[in-house]
Amino acid sequence: MSALSGLKRWETLLFAVLLAVVALNGIESKYYWGVGNFVNLFQLSIEKSIVALTMTFVIIGADIDLSVASVMGLAACVMAWTFQQGAPLPLAILLALGSGVLAGLNNAFWIAYVGLPSLAVTLAGLIGYRGVARILVEDRAIGGFPEWFNTLGQQALIGPLTLSIVIFVVLFGFFAILLHASAIGRLVYVVGSNIQAARYSGVRVGLVKTAMFVGSSAVAALAGILYAARLGSVRGDTADGFELDIITTVLLGGVSIFGGKGNLVGVGLSLLVILNLRNGMGLADITGNTQNYVIGGLLILSVLIPNLYQEIQNKWKGRKQ
Amino acid sequence: MKRHLLGAAAVAAMALLSQNAFAQAIATPGKDVSMVLLPKFLGILPFDLAHKGAEEAAKELKNPATLQFLGPTPQNSVAGQIEIVTNATTQGVKAIMLSNNSGDQIVPAAKAAQAKGIKVVTWDSPIPSSEGEDVFVAQVDFNDIGKVMADMTLNLTGPEGGEFAILSASPDAANQNSWIAGMKTALKDPKYAKLKLDEIVYGNDESEKSYTQAQALIDKYPHVKVIMAPTSVGIVAAAKALQDEKLCDKIKISGLGMPTEMLAYTKNGCAPQFALWSFVDLGYLAYYTSYLLATGALEAKEGAKFKAGRMGEYTITKDPTRAKGLRVLMGPFTVYDKNNIEAAAK
Repeated sequence: MSALSGLKRWETLLFAVLLAVVALNGIESKYYWGVGNFVNLFQLSIEKSIVALTMTFVIIGADIDLSVASVMGLAACVMAWTFQQGAPLPLAILLALGSGVLAGLNNAFWIAYVGLPSLAVTLAGLIGYRGVARILVEDRAIGGFPEWFNTLGQQALIGPLTLSIVIFVVLFGFFAILLHASAIGRLVYVVGSNIQAARYSGVRVGLVKTAMFVGSSAVAALAGILYAARLGSVRGDTADGFELDIITTVLLGGVSIFGGKGNLVGVGLSLLVILNLRNGMGLADITGNTQNYVIGGLLILSVLIPNLYQEIQNKWKGRKQ
Repeated sequence: MKRHLLGAAAVAAMALLSQNAFAQAIATPGKDVSMVLLPKFLGILPFDLAHKGAEEAAKELKNPATLQFLGPTPQNSVAGQIEIVTNATTQGVKAIMLSNNSGDQIVPAAKAAQAKGIKVVTWDSPIPSSEGEDVFVAQVDFNDIGKVMADMTLNLTGPEGGEFAILSASPDAANQNSWIAGMKTALKDPKYAKLKLDEIVYGNDESEKSYTQAQALIDKYPHVKVIMAPTSVGIVAAAKALQDEKLCDKIKISGLGMPTEMLAYTKNGCAPQFALWSFVDLGYLAYYTSYLLATGALEAKEGAKFKAGRMGEYTITKDPTRAKGLRVLMGPFTVYDKNNIEAAAK
């Protein structure tokens, strides 16, 4: 019960921060309130937002997936390369998604069945999958995709919303139900909070972890393809370094790095905070390192505040007794 | 026959008319034109100098709108540039001056900016496909740079030639890539037959990475005589790597660099010769071009002439170094060595 109220407190805090950021943005820039700007705000980081959803599962399961950005790059490069070799684009997209699933199976094999730590396995994946991507596309850029593909990536599909945003919304709903209202979701929490207890009570831990990592890589591959469509061309370093932004978002959303705690509502709020903050700073002509500095500071506070709060509360209780 | 003559006269008259249409455009100072100067990333000297030049032009043109100098971090250059172009579009600026570091990945964002009537002027590094770009303000002719790079290499190896390697910026930096392509073309001349290119490596315009890439080159190719770094970050890092390894008597660094940053290495013989153009002038010219385009005084089409303040007259031409696209050619550039570097470094 106390854990639940703790989570609620965290989301309330995030919501308050969000309101503050939105208010500040509104005061700072007259361009903030506008449908176009809100679409841009999501669209500019939509691929990271999509991957953050599956990253939430992985981290709640007390694991980490550092290879997501490399899988995004891998999928984009597999797609671009096979397309350049003459394959029709739909086939190239299927192969790209397949490469993501394979990468996920590879991660899962070493983590779930050999028993290596996910930090090490996915770090190797981060380097290895990126290597394959760079070998395929080298240092040139591959573009010239069919018009329909670029249109899907860059133009609005439903009302002002792009395909990527629609996919994000659908996936958010799907994963929220999966995590919070299904047996599978409960298994992820059980594995994440106490893996030994999970094993003894007959949970097929290997299967849960396999699902987590294959899901993570498959969604990353999808995000990589969407990213390629948004930019209209692919190169070997596509999505390089995105993993840190993605993990940052999930942690700021109140998901415990030690597993077992957190929820998608928090991650959704965290996404909104970060995206609005970035957008507001961009419109206020604050860019580059200053943006990173502010978001880094926010992350440190997100770890500090709950701990400080706990400490103060303990002291207070101690005095009362 | 008569009809032919008439036809010829008509053609001549039309040619005259279009000549008139391309009369020299002159800027009207004092117009409110909000502009963004967007370098590849913030924090290196050449872009700060370009900013200085743009500010100089802004002052001269008495533009009441402040010039925004915005850039991403080197690690986030592609996504960062796209974000800044998109936000500038939301803000409804009149012109974006872009040193493109995103290859063609910037195209959708640049096109969206153009669709809102924003002029997109590239400088230093163009959009390879030229889509989404009004005109490119080129520092010097890219093929000339290639030739100067080949000449400097041959100067440093001596007439007997030898092996050399290239340390470039990021793999998708359009300007570096076309200079290297220009150099490869130049190398086909029998004059350079004894030069052998070992490898092209990329330091991503990060000091540390360029430093280790230079070290790796030295280890991998024991016979390498020259490292050619056509980037102001790479050339300094490579010169430092050589100096630290105490190899400056065997291997030389050359390429494109800032005199202030290269002074020590030119004097101690690690980098006896390198070249560059003025980034201040480049910023100044990019600003003038953008201001003229944004105020409607100049149209981005082949043959259009304009006056850029203290720098004189320029003409928009087809860009011979790209399949499509227009350019304004600044030129020329200076080769620095121990005789002239001290004056330039002041």
